Amino acid sequence: MLLIQQFVNSVMLGSVYVTVAVAFTLTIGVLNFLNFTIPTLFMLAGMVGWALAYWGLPFGLSGPLPWPLALFFGMCAAILASLLVERFTFRYLKTKYGDSTEHAIPLVSSLGFLLVLENLVRIGYGTDAQRFPGPSADLTMSIGGIFVRIPQVVSLGIVVLIVVGLTWLLKRSRIGRGLRAIAENPDAANILGVDTNRVVPVVFMLTGLLCGLAGALFAVNYGEVSPQMGEDIGTKAIAGMVVGGLGSIWGAVLGGLIVGLTEMMTIHFFGADTVQVAVWGLLLLTLLLRPQGLLGHHSIGKGKL
Amino acid sequence: MSGYWAGILSILAINVIFAYGIFLPVATGQLNLGGAGFQALGAYTAAYLSAMFGLPVPVTVGVGMVVAGVVGFLIAFPILRTRGVYLVLATFAFAEVVAGTILNSETLGGAMGMSVPAFIDWEIPVIVAGFVTLFVFYLMSTRFGLTMRATHDDEVVTDLMGVNIRMVQVCAFAIGGALAGLAGGLYAHSFSFVEIQSFNALVSIYVLLYVLLGGTQTAWGPLAGAAFFTLLPELLRTVLPQVKSFLAALVGIEEPVGPPDDSWRFVILGALTIAMMVLRPEGLITRTMIERLRFRRSSSAREQVA
Amino acid sequence: MSAPLLSLHAVSKNFGGLAVITDVSFEVPQGSRTALIGPNGAGKTTVFNLISGVFAPSEGEIRLEGQSIDALPSRSRIGLGVARSFQNIRLMPHLSVVENVMLGQQARAGNLAGMLTPISLFGRSKWRREAEDLLDRMGLSTYPGEVVATLPYGIRKKIEVVRALVAKPKILLLDEPAAGLNNTETANLRDFLMTISQSGVTLLVVEHDMSLVRSLCDHAVVLNFGRKIYDGSTRTVQDDPAVLEAYLGTRQAEKARTHAEADHVA
Repeated sequence: MLLIQQFVNSVMLGSVYVTVAVAFTLTIGVLNFLNFTIPTLFMLAGMVGWALAYWGLPFGLSGPLPWPLALFFGMCAAILASLLVERFTFRYLKTKYGDSTEHAIPLVSSLGFLLVLENLVRIGYGTDAQRFPGPSADLTMSIGGIFVRIPQVVSLGIVVLIVVGLTWLLKRSRIGRGLRAIAENPDAANILGVDTNRVVPVVFMLTGLLCGLAGALFAVNYGEVSPQMGEDIGTKAIAGMVVGGLGSIWGAVLGGLIVGLTEMMTIHFFGADTVQVAVWGLLLLTLLLRPQGLLGHHSIGKGKL
Repeated sequence: MSGYWAGILSILAINVIFAYGIFLPVATGQLNLGGAGFQALGAYTAAYLSAMFGLPVPVTVGVGMVVAGVVGFLIAFPILRTRGVYLVLATFAFAEVVAGTILNSETLGGAMGMSVPAFIDWEIPVIVAGFVTLFVFYLMSTRFGLTMRATHDDEVVTDLMGVNIRMVQVCAFAIGGALAGLAGGLYAHSFSFVEIQSFNALVSIYVLLYVLLGGTQTAWGPLAGAAFFTLLPELLRTVLPQVKSFLAALVGIEEPVGPPDDSWRFVILGALTIAMMVLRPEGLITRTMIERLRFRRSSSAREQVA
Repeated sequence: MSAPLLSLHAVSKNFGGLAVITDVSFEVPQGSRTALIGPNGAGKTTVFNLISGVFAPSEGEIRLEGQSIDALPSRSRIGLGVARSFQNIRLMPHLSVVENVMLGQQARAGNLAGMLTPISLFGRSKWRREAEDLLDRMGLSTYPGEVVATLPYGIRKKIEVVRALVAKPKILLLDEPAAGLNNTETANLRDFLMTISQSGVTLLVVEHDMSLVRSLCDHAVVLNFGRKIYDGSTRTVQDDPAVLEAYLGTRQAEKARTHAEADHVA
C-alpha cells in the first residue's frame, strides 16, 4: 500500500518535471539548442508570481494581487524573458563556419542569461525561500486508501491538456509544419519559404509558456518558491528528456514520469541523499548505452557532421 | 605580500590551470561541461592522501592529477562517442555523478567536507601554472596541436588526411582531465579545506565561459579568459560601491549607501557573456589577432635590419 | 597499356534501400588523367567517397595496385597514396594556409615522434619549410601565414589541391576543381594540373566543364543514375548516343546529333 502511495506521489511529482522536460525537448528538437535558461524561466514565473501576490505591482501601483492573477503575470514574465533570450541567442547569431564551437554559441549565451536572470532575482527578492500565499495544498481526497492532493490532480490534468495540445499544434497547424521543417533541415526550410524569424520566436514563446506554467503549478502545489527552485527541477527535467529521447515530446512525458518514479523509489529505499546520484547516473547511462533515449530519433542533437 | 593578494594569486594560478584543462578538449571540438567533476577528483584525492597518510604535497597533488587523468581517459571512450548536445549533457552528468558520490561517501567527509593538513603558499600554484602554460603552448605548436585544431574544424576531412581523430580526442580529453585534477589538488592544499559544494555545476559553467570568452583558437585565450574573469570580480569589489554611491549622488541621495549586492558581479559576467557571443563569438583573442601582432613585429624587425 | 593503378570491380552502394551506385566497374591506368563525368546526381561524388573510404561499398571491391582496400579505415588510405579534394572546399577555416598544407603531411609524419615535435615553435621546422616550398612552387607563396577563411575562392581551391599533393599521393581525386572559377582561373588550373600530372601523379577528376575535361583528360568514365554508360577516350565521349541521351534527354539527343552531322558536312 505504501508503495502504491509512493507511486501516485511520483506521478504527481513527475508532472512538473514533464512540463519542463517538454520545454527542453522542444528547443532541442526544433533548434538543436540546449537552452539553459529554461530552469531560470521556471523560477522567474514562481518568484514574480510570489512578489506580486505578496507586495503587489512595483512602485506601489497596487496592493497585493490575488494569487491566480499574480501567477498569470508571473507566466507572462517568463514568456517575455524567453523572447528576450531568443533575441540574443538566435536573432543576432551569425555562424560563419558551422564548426563545433560555433554550434555552442546559443548554449553559451543561454548560460550567460542563466547568470543574469538568476542573480537579478536574487538582488530584487533576496535569496531566501518564500511561502506562496496560494490555495491550501493540503486539500486531499482519498481513493481506496490512497491520498491525492486536489491541486496536484488539477495540475496533472492541465499538463496532459498542454502536451496533447502541443502535439496537435506540431502535427496539424501551419506553424507546426514550419517548426517541423526547421527541425528537419533549417536551410531547406528557408528555401521552402518558412520564415525562420517568425517561426523561431514561437518556440521560445512556447518554452516560456511551459516553464511559466510549471513554475505556477509548482508554487501552488508546494506553497514555496525560491531563487534556487529551478536548479533541482532543471536537473530532473534534463534527465527526463534524455531518458525519453531528445526531441520527442511523448518521450519527455515518459522520461519525466520515470525520473519522478526513480526519485521516489530512491528516497524510499536508500534515503534522500542518493537521489542526485540515481538521477544523474540514469542520465549518464542512457547517454552512453542508448543515446537516442526511449522514444527519440537517433539523428537529433548530433551537431553538424 | 598581503594575505589578500596571496589568495588572489593562488586562485588565479589555479583557474589558469583549470581553464587549460577545459581548453584542450574544447580546442579539439569537445565541449566539456564537467570541469568541476575532474577538479573535485583531484582535490579529494589530494585531500584524502594528505589527511589519511600524511603524504607530501607533490605526491598528493601528483596522484590527484593522475587519478583525474585516468578517469578522463576511461570515460573518454564511451563519452566521446556522443557529440554536440549529447556530449555537453554527458560531461555535465559525469560531474554531477562525481559530486553525488562524494556527497554520499563517509570516508570523504560527505557534506561536511574535509580539512587538508598540508598547506601551500601562493608561490607553488603560480610556478605550476607557469609550467602548465608552457606545456600547453608547446602542445599547441606540435603536429598533435595541429591535428587537434583540425579536428575542431572538420572531423571528416581530418580523418581523410590520415589523422586518428578518436586518438586525438581521447588524448586531449584525458590530458585536460589531468590538468583539471591538478588544479583541484592545488586548490585543496591552498585553501586547506575541501567541500563538495565548492565543486558545483556553476564552477563547470564558469570555467567553460573563461575558455570560450578568452578564445579557443590559441593557447593565449584561456590565459586571458581566466585572468580577466578572476581579476574582474576583485576589481568590481572595489569599483561597484563607488559606482553605486556615484549613482546615488546623481539622483540626489546624500546619506551613505550600503555596498551593492554581491550578485551584481555575476550579472555583469553573464551580460558580458551574452554581449561577447553577439559581437565576437570567436572569443577575445583570435588567431588572426596573434598572427597580425607577430607579423608586425617581424616586419618591423626586418626594416631595422634593412 | 600500363597496369591500372586503381580499379573498381562491380561496385554498388545503397543508402537504406536506395541504390546510388549500381554495378560500376572501371580502371584508372597508371599516370593517366581520367575524367569521371555525368549529370547531376549520377553518383560521382559517391564514387569518390567510396574510394576514399567515407562510405564502404555495399557490394563489389575497390583495388589499389591490385590490392583490395575495402577493409582499410578511411584514415589509412591517404598513406597508401589516395588523396582527394572536395566539391565544396573543405579547408580548415581557422588554420593558416601553411598549416592546412602541413595537415596534408600527416600520413608521412603522424607517428608518435612526429606528433610531439614542435612544428611552429622555434623558427621553421623541416615540415614547415617543405610546405612553404611547395606553396612557392605552385605560385601561392604570398599567402602562407594568412587564415584560410578570408582568401578568394580560386586560391582556396588551389590550396586544397596542394594539401592533397603534399601527402605525395599516387592518385589524386579532384571533385569539381573548376566549379566557380572564371575562364582565366580555369586555364590557370588546367596548367597547374598538367604540371602535377607530369610529375607522375595519376589524376581522377570529376568535372562539369567539358572543355576542361577534353583539354586535360585522356580517358573518361561517364555515370548516369549510378550506372556506367561510357568508358573510353575523351575525344569520342560527346558523340556517344547514350551519353548525349543522359545529358540532354532522348529527343534533344537526336536533334544534337543531326546538328553535329550537319556541322560535320559543312
